[in-house]
Amino acid sequence: MVVLDTSLLWLSVLLPVIISILGVRSEKYETLASIIAALLLFPLVIVAVAAIKGSLSSGIVDPAYTTINGIGTLAFALDGLSALVVAGISVVTAFVAFYSLPYMKTRIEEMRTEGEEPPSLGVYYLLYTLFAVAMVGLVYSTNLILFYLFLELTLIPSFLLIAYYGYGDRKRIAMLYFVWTHLGAVVFLAGALYYGYIAGNFDYLNIDTLSPVGNAASILGNMTTLIAALMTFGLFVKMAVLGVHMWLPYAHAEAPTPISALLSPNLIGLAGYAMARITVPLFPDFYTANQWFFIYLAFATIIYGGLVALKQTDFKRFLAYSSVSQMGYMLLGIATLTSLGITGAMLHYLAHAVGKAVLFMTAGVFITDLHGFRDITRMGGLARKYPMTAALALVGFMHLVGMPPTVGMWSEIFIILGLFRAIDISAQFILITLLLIVALGISASYAFINMRRIFYGKPRSDTAERAKPESVGILQWSMLAIAFFGFLFFLWITPYYDSLLTAASKIVQILQTVMG
Amino acid sequence: MIDPLYIWLTPYLAAGIMAITWVMGIRKESFYSWLSVLSILVSAIIATILTPKVYHGDIIYTVHSWMPDIGVNVGTYMDGLGAFMSLVVAWLSFLIAVYSTKYMEGDWGFQRYFFFFTFFVGSMLLLVLADNLVLLFIGWEGTGLASYALIGHWYTDDEDTWVGDPGRKALGTNMYFEPSHSGVRAILFTKIGDIGMLIGMAGIFALTGTLSIPQISNLASQSDGWMATLANMKILTAFLVVFSLGALAKSAQFPFQEWLVTAMTGPTPVSALIHAATMVKAGVYFMLRFAPIFAVGAANLGGAVLDAVTSYFWIIALLGGITAFMMATMAIVSRELKLILAFSTASQLGYMFLGVGAAGYLLKGAEAGTSNTLSLVYEGIAASASHLMSHAVFKAALFLIAGWAIHAVHSRFIDDMGNFAKYMKISMISMWLAGLSLAGIPPFSGFWSKEGVLHTAHLAGLENLWLLGVITAGITAFYITRATVRVFHIKPYHRHEEEHHLHEAPLTMLLPYFILALTALVIGLAWPLGFSEKVAELLGHTLAMPSAELPSVEFTGITLEIVGYALLMVLFAIVLYLAFKPDFVGLLQKSTTARILHDFLYDRWYINALIYIFIVGGFAGLVEIMGWINGVIDAFYHVAIPVVLIAGSQAFRGLHRGRTDLYLTFYAYFIGVALLVLYFLWG
Repeated sequence: MVVLDTSLLWLSVLLPVIISILGVRSEKYETLASIIAALLLFPLVIVAVAAIKGSLSSGIVDPAYTTINGIGTLAFALDGLSALVVAGISVVTAFVAFYSLPYMKTRIEEMRTEGEEPPSLGVYYLLYTLFAVAMVGLVYSTNLILFYLFLELTLIPSFLLIAYYGYGDRKRIAMLYFVWTHLGAVVFLAGALYYGYIAGNFDYLNIDTLSPVGNAASILGNMTTLIAALMTFGLFVKMAVLGVHMWLPYAHAEAPTPISALLSPNLIGLAGYAMARITVPLFPDFYTANQWFFIYLAFATIIYGGLVALKQTDFKRFLAYSSVSQMGYMLLGIATLTSLGITGAMLHYLAHAVGKAVLFMTAGVFITDLHGFRDITRMGGLARKYPMTAALALVGFMHLVGMPPTVGMWSEIFIILGLFRAIDISAQFILITLLLIVALGISASYAFINMRRIFYGKPRSDTAERAKPESVGILQWSMLAIAFFGFLFFLWITPYYDSLLTAASKIVQILQTVMG
Repeated sequence: MIDPLYIWLTPYLAAGIMAITWVMGIRKESFYSWLSVLSILVSAIIATILTPKVYHGDIIYTVHSWMPDIGVNVGTYMDGLGAFMSLVVAWLSFLIAVYSTKYMEGDWGFQRYFFFFTFFVGSMLLLVLADNLVLLFIGWEGTGLASYALIGHWYTDDEDTWVGDPGRKALGTNMYFEPSHSGVRAILFTKIGDIGMLIGMAGIFALTGTLSIPQISNLASQSDGWMATLANMKILTAFLVVFSLGALAKSAQFPFQEWLVTAMTGPTPVSALIHAATMVKAGVYFMLRFAPIFAVGAANLGGAVLDAVTSYFWIIALLGGITAFMMATMAIVSRELKLILAFSTASQLGYMFLGVGAAGYLLKGAEAGTSNTLSLVYEGIAASASHLMSHAVFKAALFLIAGWAIHAVHSRFIDDMGNFAKYMKISMISMWLAGLSLAGIPPFSGFWSKEGVLHTAHLAGLENLWLLGVITAGITAFYITRATVRVFHIKPYHRHEEEHHLHEAPLTMLLPYFILALTALVIGLAWPLGFSEKVAELLGHTLAMPSAELPSVEFTGITLEIVGYALLMVLFAIVLYLAFKPDFVGLLQKSTTARILHDFLYDRWYINALIYIFIVGGFAGLVEIMGWINGVIDAFYHVAIPVVLIAGSQAFRGLHRGRTDLYLTFYAYFIGVALLVLYFLWG
């Protein structure tokens, strides 16, 4: 572990907030967006520098930390497991901040012509920044209390953003989003409080070694299963696993598109990260005992989400169900309980972040340019008018399908490598083969079938027919930037992969003591 | 010495530059076409410079570190097979790129075309030179992406870019395909196979901890290696089939053949390069790469491994034989020039799979550790490789000619073509040279290589498949002669030639296919004069295949009969169409039997319809069911729960009306309950 000289991690979280508070009344939105975007890119720089210096494997800790009796150590840290997650958040939030500029200007104008009085763009950027840095803070955290605080902090601004600027019945949907995911968070909190109450502190990472605190079964005794189940269930709701995914399609489809582009790729995946970081190493018995339930649940989520996605006619709702499906892959990687699988899951976080952000932004291009145009059945042939957007959307889909040259390929490969380490090849080869063919086949189907419905063929409506040729602007450039990082991480994966595997094998070591 | 890395990296770099310039808004056509042609030429030259070294026995192997922990590095492995493949791929790509510069002139997607074209060439060369499975997979998927994009190149779906007769249905399923539809079909059909390949990778990695192909090869023969382990688990055959699914799908072998047929919506040079000469050969390459590894492992380990591996090879040979025959029959009745060639391609790929499968099947019953049989296996594998080469050359030529023919009459149907011989002599000569090679007539290259494959099948004792191959050879001779005669030598059925100002192709298009057609002849002439030994020598420096010979072909007995039969079919087709001019359209109207048979072949054995009805339809049904279940889940959370809670809240509200007497009653009641509980607990 390396303790930094300056409080870089805290700064990377606090600076954007300070700027956005100062700028909340400013009218110079271009400047504001640029500064915020630059500051939101700061965590990525930290990750990259740490990776190049080779300090990711041992991890880095922010010097500003404190230990409170009964609570534990409140600290910010960064290691191999969290590096790619932070990178994913940083890349997406930074460039979506630019993207928001034209998008939200149009949205606010549109709302004004409808006779509403939405809060100004300054307020938007304040809430946006709070949402973005809360996610980064959550990933930096090493303690359940800090983790929970940031988890709530992600919820409030995103709730307000949907309520202020969303589409459709936005007040009801914002409430629905708040109630359900908060319910998940509270169930998680119940487990966490119970854990901390018995354990005497709320740490899940050992600050000196940045390794997990270890199996909690010896401390918790026969309460282990209950606590593990509570915390896992809470995370499942946040992650929108099959059965508790009910809130996601509404929230992701009706949020203003830049917020969809944060909610869907960034926020829900954090529950997967939290599982690998917190619950799996704390409750290895629980996870090994229920491993097959989780693997089947993961497959069910992938297949279910994919099939329902194929049925959708609304562009954003389609993407929302695709996110449910993609979370199944993350869960699958974690449920393998192997270092390769967990590595794959974290890589999938990044791949999904990049891919899904680009796709939501694609949907946003048509909503902005063609006045709320989002019905796939009325699209068709849009590639002719929007070649750049179409090319970027294809790259987005390639991330989801796991095609090179995108980082999605690595996540797909690692998850499958991990899966085959986990199963009994002699007995389960055919079963797992069939499940994978169906699961990955459905993902590829919804990707390429919808690529065709949206971009190829003849226009199926006047709106699609009469669309003016795209004027490549901030919308497309910010998409291009995000997509480019997907390619960059495909090529330049080695420094992250090494430290990620190290961090994942620390988790697996704990699991192995249980599995024997 | 030049790093062989640049063979595949150069086209990739060129494609990268094109992507950047496109984003920057540069649209100048000649920049894209010349960058493409030049980068491919550089690749071809490097491959040519390096090949002699491989030929003399040095495997060129360079490694740049990437992810060493799992055996995944940027490793370029240029052994005999790698050199052989990169020569074929790079030079063919070069010629077809030159042809494309003219063919695509003025096209609205010109820049996109050359970007994906170049990206494809890089991917294909990476695929054949990769030293590990992940790198191979990257190239593999890259070719798939390029193929998808180029099949759907004219994604606006205008009717002249379709495949099939507009409006035609078979068993209620549409039998005409727009480019955008064909693109989706291609990528989904092949993706299913690719998942199998990934699973194979994961399985091998789980057992060996490496993904490096030379290491996998070394570990194959060990008594505790991955092949032995899988054989002990009794899943070796299934495992190898799953691992080869990617190859079967990519090379359009039954039951994956459908995507290749409709891939003909792409521009013709793409059909020539990707869907005839190179990408569809990736599956064959995969078989050529791994068949020796499996065979050596099986030969060394014997027993259960040997049984499992020979069963696997039998399945491969069977699928190849079926595909060869099935697709050839479809080509007899097709009315679209490119479709005839597409059917033919799948059919010829079937021969290659038959050859590799039969070669491996030679091991059946061999004693463990026997090297005599192995040299026969190598011979069979080399025969398939040589057929890959000769097919690549003559089929590319045929497609490029077809491109010009279609362009000349603005129609893909041969009914609209005819009497071309009057206007384009060199094209006519090229068509005959390449066509006779496909028909397997000596001395053309196709004859020698096809004979090698049939020889292997015969030697392996796969009599039924051999017979199927022989029958297919006759059908092949017939359908290609039919196409040639109808396009070049008799009047068009529908239009009159005068409608178009027919003339010979421009030089940039004519030269590539004339060179290729001539090559088919030259290779054939040189074959018995030492060329076959040279090819075998090069292939004999391949991983797990330390020596190779090509089957020697003697003009005796059965070979002579096959040649005679093929010649007869050529003559039959010529006489039939030139002298008798039969009225097939009238026949179909009169005879029900003829119509049933025709429709069966014309609708591709109804396989497409069956896939749509059962598989696509099945999933569409699942989508509906899941949509319904989703509605139920949504209703549970957002209707049922709120209703129950609202009802509960109203019920409780009824208790709180501010009536003190009621509160007091409850208070007394619950104190009583509490006292009773305490009494029973402590009492």
